[in-house]
Amino acid sequence: MSEVKNIHQPKADNQTEDKSKTEKLDTNYWRSFKDLFRDTSLIEASNHEFGDGVKDDFEPSKLSGISRRKFLALVGASAALAGAGCSDYRSKGDIIPYNKMPEEITVGKANYYASTSTACSHGCGVLIKTREGRPIKVDGNPDHPVSKGKTCAKCQASILSLYDPERLKFPMRKSRNGGFLKSTWQHVDDEIINALNKIGNKQIAFVSQRIISPTGKKVLDDFVKQYPNTKIYSYELFDEQIRNSAWQKCYGINKFPLISWDKAKVILGLETDFLGTDGNKVETSRLYTQGREVNNLKKFNRLYVAESTLSVTGMNSDYRFRLRPDAQFEFVMCLLNEINKNGISVPGSLPLGGYSLKSFAGKYSLSLKNLKQLVKDLASAKGESVIYAGRTLPENVHIAVNLLNEALGNTALYRTDSIDVDVLPLLKHEEIKELVNDMNAGNVGMIIHYDSNPVFHFPDDLGYKDALKKVPVVVSITGSQNDSSELGNYTLPLSHDFESWGDAKTRTGFYSFQQPVIDPIFSTRQKEAILLTWLKGKPVVFDEMVYHKYLMNNWQNNLYPTFNTKMTFTEFWNAGLHDGIAILEEEPDSFGSFNSSALSELQNAVKASSKYIVVLRESYQAGDGKFLNNGWLLELPHPVSKITWDNYAAVSHNTAKDLGIKSNDMIAIRVGDRKLEIPAFIQPGTADKTITIELGFGRKVVGIVGTGVGFNANVLRSKSAGISPWIYLANNVSKSGSSYHLVATMEHHMFGEALTKDAAQKRKIIQEGTVKEYQKDAHFLNTENPVKMESLYNPHEYPGVKWGMAVDLNKCVGCGDCVVACNAENNIPIVGKDQVAVSREMQWLRVDRYYSGSIDDPVTSNQIMLCQQCDNAPCENVCPVAATTHSPDGLNQMIYNRCVGTRYCSNNCPYKVRRFNFFNYRDHFKDNYQQSHLLSLVYNPEVTVRSRGVMEKCTFCIQRIMEARSNAIEEHRPLKGSDVRTACQDACNTEAIKFGDMNDKDSEFYKKYRTHELGYYVLEDVNTRPNVTYIAKLRNIESEEV
Amino acid sequence: MRKSLLDYILKVRLPITLFVIIASFTITYFASRAEDNGVGYSPVQPINFSHKLHAGQMRIDCQYCHTGVERSRNAMVPAVSTCMNCHTIAKKDSPEIKKLRNYYYSNIALPWVRVHKVPDFVYFNHSVHVNSGIKCESCHGDVRQMTRITQVHSFSMSDCLNCHRHAKEELPYIKDVKNGPDNCFACHR
Repeated sequence: MSEVKNIHQPKADNQTEDKSKTEKLDTNYWRSFKDLFRDTSLIEASNHEFGDGVKDDFEPSKLSGISRRKFLALVGASAALAGAGCSDYRSKGDIIPYNKMPEEITVGKANYYASTSTACSHGCGVLIKTREGRPIKVDGNPDHPVSKGKTCAKCQASILSLYDPERLKFPMRKSRNGGFLKSTWQHVDDEIINALNKIGNKQIAFVSQRIISPTGKKVLDDFVKQYPNTKIYSYELFDEQIRNSAWQKCYGINKFPLISWDKAKVILGLETDFLGTDGNKVETSRLYTQGREVNNLKKFNRLYVAESTLSVTGMNSDYRFRLRPDAQFEFVMCLLNEINKNGISVPGSLPLGGYSLKSFAGKYSLSLKNLKQLVKDLASAKGESVIYAGRTLPENVHIAVNLLNEALGNTALYRTDSIDVDVLPLLKHEEIKELVNDMNAGNVGMIIHYDSNPVFHFPDDLGYKDALKKVPVVVSITGSQNDSSELGNYTLPLSHDFESWGDAKTRTGFYSFQQPVIDPIFSTRQKEAILLTWLKGKPVVFDEMVYHKYLMNNWQNNLYPTFNTKMTFTEFWNAGLHDGIAILEEEPDSFGSFNSSALSELQNAVKASSKYIVVLRESYQAGDGKFLNNGWLLELPHPVSKITWDNYAAVSHNTAKDLGIKSNDMIAIRVGDRKLEIPAFIQPGTADKTITIELGFGRKVVGIVGTGVGFNANVLRSKSAGISPWIYLANNVSKSGSSYHLVATMEHHMFGEALTKDAAQKRKIIQEGTVKEYQKDAHFLNTENPVKMESLYNPHEYPGVKWGMAVDLNKCVGCGDCVVACNAENNIPIVGKDQVAVSREMQWLRVDRYYSGSIDDPVTSNQIMLCQQCDNAPCENVCPVAATTHSPDGLNQMIYNRCVGTRYCSNNCPYKVRRFNFFNYRDHFKDNYQQSHLLSLVYNPEVTVRSRGVMEKCTFCIQRIMEARSNAIEEHRPLKGSDVRTACQDACNTEAIKFGDMNDKDSEFYKKYRTHELGYYVLEDVNTRPNVTYIAKLRNIESEEV
Repeated sequence: MRKSLLDYILKVRLPITLFVIIASFTITYFASRAEDNGVGYSPVQPINFSHKLHAGQMRIDCQYCHTGVERSRNAMVPAVSTCMNCHTIAKKDSPEIKKLRNYYYSNIALPWVRVHKVPDFVYFNHSVHVNSGIKCESCHGDVRQMTRITQVHSFSMSDCLNCHRHAKEELPYIKDVKNGPDNCFACHR
């Protein structure tokens, strides 16, 4: 009934309702403070097509003359041209076929190989796409039980590291004067074997990051057997130890269980970024968004987040509380008290009376109404809610959270089918101190940095760096020179994951396999093979297959028998390599019942301080610093702040006022006797007196891309943890006087909204509602009847397939994985910080982040923005050379070889999704970095590499469409919408991006997404008729309006 | 009236000069048309391979060697190992086969000289054409009669489009032939 009523509403009614709605929604959307306060410079800037400083580059006096290389290239080219002109036919080059045809290769067709990514220690399953034997793209392995065909940005970008021209190419040893000299494997192997044999009773220490390979661990075990003085120290910059040890105290096993996020109705996240960096985000975000299905409102979850500064998880929350991390304990205790008052019994006999939610809300100026709503929701969703504390919080918070979950019966949501597995448990933080003591006492004869960077990762005051000087032999096995390897005697080049054999065990229930997809490009070896060579105890000729054979032997003798399969070993092994995984029936360790003795730690009330507090978080871009030489990741705008190529200290508006600073001002932070100067950035939604900094930046020894990127906040960490190893109270924070230039993309490519205040809302760029509103009236957005406007042009005809996309904003978490996938698929160049500063980033796909509401407690909306492939495309009309035209399958074609670079199209594009090559970025960025022969191997051969002066934009992955079309013709069947998946769609962890044929009215894509009642077009009022539908975000909040 | 020098230049010299320039451009354009678009190009190959012998007289199917045509964008020039399927036994002592065997056993790249080529920004796809029933000779000429491979048709954009737009006239041998796509993304991306 309501449906009919709505559609046929008289026009006048419609208008009044619109008006009242506008009054109700006094929230306006803004991207930055300049935007919010209508800064005149921003209005001025958005009137111009290009940013400040664009002309500076063309100052002729600043241009360098022709370099020697260019001159020679020109001479060569003109000679070649002259030569070609003189012959009667132009030479077309050679065709060089294979000498002996590899059986699996068809030239022009990609092969996919299943493997395991070790970009981080989650070991996601990947399918590596190779063309003519070279890997060009990483996709997820759909058979993998955890990652289920999805990958994160780091995994996507790890292929760039394979072709990093600054990879180590040969072994090196330190000369007497301190520099590194090229050496040979034979030479360094001999010397190290010699040193090992003479080690006597001194210790051999391996310093490694998390080891996930069972066979890799066996190699280490063999090493320990042969050299019994060996000790293995494994660590991670961020680990789960606090969460696990709290769990052990409460439930008896040292492993926090997995959570059924998909079954949770109410989720409370405390200082955790489970959709970003805390845990396996590929799996968690998939499960979480299964509870964000607009077509299944009964299952719709509600997310509460209490955190210090806005994270990806915070951006997706329905209710968010700004809270400094040392107040989290009191917060959980208040919640325990409240639910106790609500008649839910809390195990143990804790003195909860002293914790009052009301005074807590007053103290931290939180909305008491929302807190009461939280308590009500938790009490009513007994057994169906999850309270999850971040891994950086201290142990007492975790124990209190375990208690709260226990009291609410949420243990039902702890998964019992599977659990994380440690092949080799990480070291306790204290044990690393013992290593340093041993080193200082001269008891350590050899240190092996086993693909790790402890000098950068360990707290400075641990003294690891100085202690290294007392170790006679320091060997670093690493992919590229890093802060630790530089201080050693030997640097041994490590093969990339894609050049290595291996296996991985991260969870019960399956093993996954790693196979090389390319021979080692340089004289590198994988770390296990290096050890196996040393284990021979005497100089031997290196066997390329040594670890492959070892791995197969270990599987045949030790692991294969546990599978109880009818397959022979060869069948089993080949099936395992083909699928990338082997499924095993396995019972995970079960946890016991709640142990009340753990509660003794909660007896003492921990009061929050009122001092400045420093929170260290994991970086979205650089990981733990491993990816600091990866341009794709560094140029990926930070999901929240949109800052690229840097880290920063996020502070709140009020804190900035107290300190007398603005964004970009340097602040000096003093924690104990440790000091850091870092630029501040005013991040809306940050708790007052809280300073949040991401780790992983500011490495001293790194390649040309990562040099000078960010600040090393690790220096603030201490061996004696503050509130936790990642949270410290600051002695003093002050303005340091100087300033810095942080580059953010948040104000780039703004919609032309200078003339209308709050354009994002008025022009319906962002449309959203609440679950209640939607339940009451499914058509509340009234988007089904687009305003019919006449066009001057005849409409295009779409006889066959018409491509369209739908983006479910309920599922988009704003992480940016799609951006990196698009970079990899479409040969998009890195432009560098100086070019991003003048709005010249080349990414075809951007994630627009809007805030609304107050500066202190903003509500965040994310929207991916890419070429909308308009039916009435404004870009097409203005191109003077017809380089951008319309195709019969609904695409705006951009033809590079025809483009002369007038940029009219970009000027006329209302969505600002076109990108212009102001330079040949392959040549321009960091002195030819991207033009190196090695890095050129990463390019997708099906996509043109664009040069200077050419406009480019999203093509809906035309190369994938054409491949699907070619396959359909080969199979003599019509092309279907479901045949094509775009690169961003493949990467999207949450399946927020749907792609298909809009003319196929029976397809799921058309029925479920394209014609959804929440679907809307951006800037519908300009009558561009876009082919990207956005499904409006529903917020699961109590009130009806956003 | 005295004829001025200017008059002479304008009336005689200039038209003659212009005529010579235009005529020479026109003649060069038409005379070198074939060279320009490659028609008639028949370079000497490192091994004197005869399509006339293999495809013509012995009637070996095109796809025995060019295995990619039905499956891939590239038709694929066969690997040396494909030749060696027969030539490990057949005509072992002929001087050309000796060259071939040398390439194979010394593992040296065999640099065939490329005859047919479209520019780098054209993504021509063999498999869609062959799978639509277009015969190889429609583009490559009657290879069965060629002792040395020669380009017989021009591969310019207008030649591609001519067939895409007038398929019925150009490809009468295919029943119910449909025109090919003539949008840009069909070939460029």
